[in-house]
Amino acid sequence: MKTKTHQDLCWHLPLLVAVFIQLWPIVFMVSTSLKDMDQIFQATLNPLPLPPTLNNYLTVLGNFPLFTYIYNTFFIAAFVTVFKVLTSVLAAFAFIYYDFKYKETVFNSMLLTFFIPITVLIMPNYLLMSRLDLLNTPWGVMLPQFVDGMGVFLMRQTMRGIPKPLLEAAVLDNAGPLQVLRKVVLPLIKPSIIAVGILFFINSWNEYFWPLLVLQDKETYTLPLALQMFISAEGGSEWGIAMAVATLTSLPPLALYLVCQKFILNTFMQSGVKG
Amino acid sequence: MNSIVFENVCKSYGDAKIVKSLNLEIKEGERLILLGPSGCGKTTTLRMIAGLEDITSGQLKMGGRVVNDIAPGERNIAMVFQSYALFPHLSVWDNITFGLHIQKLPEAEIKKRADEALEILNLRGYENYKPKQLSGGQKQRVALCRALVKQSPYFLLDEPLSNLDAQLRQQARTELVRIHEIYKPTMIYVTHDQVEAMTVADRIVVLKDGELQQIAAPDTIYRHPANTFVAGFIGAPSMNILKARFNRDCICIGKAVLPVPELWRQVIGQRRDLLLGIRPEHCRLSEDAAVQGSITYVENTGNQRTVELQLESGENISVTVSDRNADVQNSSGICFSWDDVSLFDVTSGRNIGYIEKGEVFTDAMGS
Repeated sequence: MKTKTHQDLCWHLPLLVAVFIQLWPIVFMVSTSLKDMDQIFQATLNPLPLPPTLNNYLTVLGNFPLFTYIYNTFFIAAFVTVFKVLTSVLAAFAFIYYDFKYKETVFNSMLLTFFIPITVLIMPNYLLMSRLDLLNTPWGVMLPQFVDGMGVFLMRQTMRGIPKPLLEAAVLDNAGPLQVLRKVVLPLIKPSIIAVGILFFINSWNEYFWPLLVLQDKETYTLPLALQMFISAEGGSEWGIAMAVATLTSLPPLALYLVCQKFILNTFMQSGVKG
Repeated sequence: MNSIVFENVCKSYGDAKIVKSLNLEIKEGERLILLGPSGCGKTTTLRMIAGLEDITSGQLKMGGRVVNDIAPGERNIAMVFQSYALFPHLSVWDNITFGLHIQKLPEAEIKKRADEALEILNLRGYENYKPKQLSGGQKQRVALCRALVKQSPYFLLDEPLSNLDAQLRQQARTELVRIHEIYKPTMIYVTHDQVEAMTVADRIVVLKDGELQQIAAPDTIYRHPANTFVAGFIGAPSMNILKARFNRDCICIGKAVLPVPELWRQVIGQRRDLLLGIRPEHCRLSEDAAVQGSITYVENTGNQRTVELQLESGENISVTVSDRNADVQNSSGICFSWDDVSLFDVTSGRNIGYIEKGEVFTDAMGS
């Protein structure tokens, strides 16, 4: 018994440390958002705001066009999510349903895109958006994100889990490819689509670097860009307000993740086990 | 005419030849069983009919037209899969009517057909159940129902009973034959279970390594197997095959010398070495045995006993004894009647002929 407890401790201790390292910045963010400026500098590492204050939040809600930024971010995240899911599902279905020459080669080439660093793609994408005259518009942020190799990979792995006879039974009933997709495949992989959609949404919601390059007018800013205004030379060092904005920014993706955690874990487990 | 004709049909995956030059005619309305061990190409053959596998070479004709390049959905085929392939997200009713909705049949017609099929298969009351709420037997009936409502002239079944227990399987076999009698579609049924094959089939096709071994009625296949493979594959315990030598109108099995009747001598002709096949139930244990041997093992299965003997020649044979009161322990070997014997060529393993109603037949392939 003692040995088992000892073993458990050995396993759990590193995990607890890892969880602490992950959670500390979030705790720090929330606690700082509830402190006034004096507390922030006097008790920087104290996680407990004593006394807690909502002044930072009131300032943000009163003097800051928060809802414009939420709208901008939501608009981009929603469009990107819908299009990414659509392209991922259609591409994955093609890999599952059709037999064509060089299918595996095409798929593997697509997997290789995972390994291309985003920084390498920034310059060509920027030039492309510039030529299309889409700089400083939400479409310039969205367009390069409509297709995603990871999404295709995850959807394909999920679809591979569908027993082949189900597709064949539909084909024998003279169902066309789109009918097979709509009536058989989509209902069966609905949880995975939700999971992948949420991941896409969260990623797009949190995206900082690409919108920073594309969007120049403050009215078009997304929340992560707006956040930097408080911690830059231009915005001074309003840490309390910055952390209040950061907390508000994190809430929607966090809530989405918590609600749909089950789907997300299942999707990733499937992609590993079935691969 | 809803016949199916294979003309030199081959199927290969790369260098692996799965079906080798198959020539076969399946008559309209018959129940044909594709039987063989795992990997013999029976499911591939069925899937080629369905259009789910491409044909590498040769021609497949259905109803007189070549269908090599016709899409599966346009072949008007109903198929029951081994796994039943019921859509898990749909209710029993939606599963059954799925294909009919795709065909855009009028609602009244869909309802009529589905009601009729549900009635035939005793599935009334289960219309709103999801597949996961059904037992194995019920799922199998839903799968049959889904095939039935299509009222297609071709009915393909891929080991449809393999997931059922022995008792349900027997019921389902009877049900299948009953359904076939109602609609009389051309039915092709894949199985590796010889009892299923014997009880359901009008004709059986035995396949091995992608090659047709024999096509004939169940009784013919059982009594006159075309070769030693079929002889060994059909029947449990399988047919005993003994080395024999024909010499001066007699046949020698080990030290035993048995006189050969005149008609059998005609069948044997000039051959010297032969393989003699005799089914376990056609062997009789005897105290005054023609072929001597000693008992090595007795297995009691309730309705019969299977006795293993080692003959003087060193070969092992099985004998089944149905008589509960028979004294097996005092037997000195076996006797058999020439009416129950099959003779095979020692090199090719092919049946060299048989005698039926006083006539000699030298082609045991059947048709």
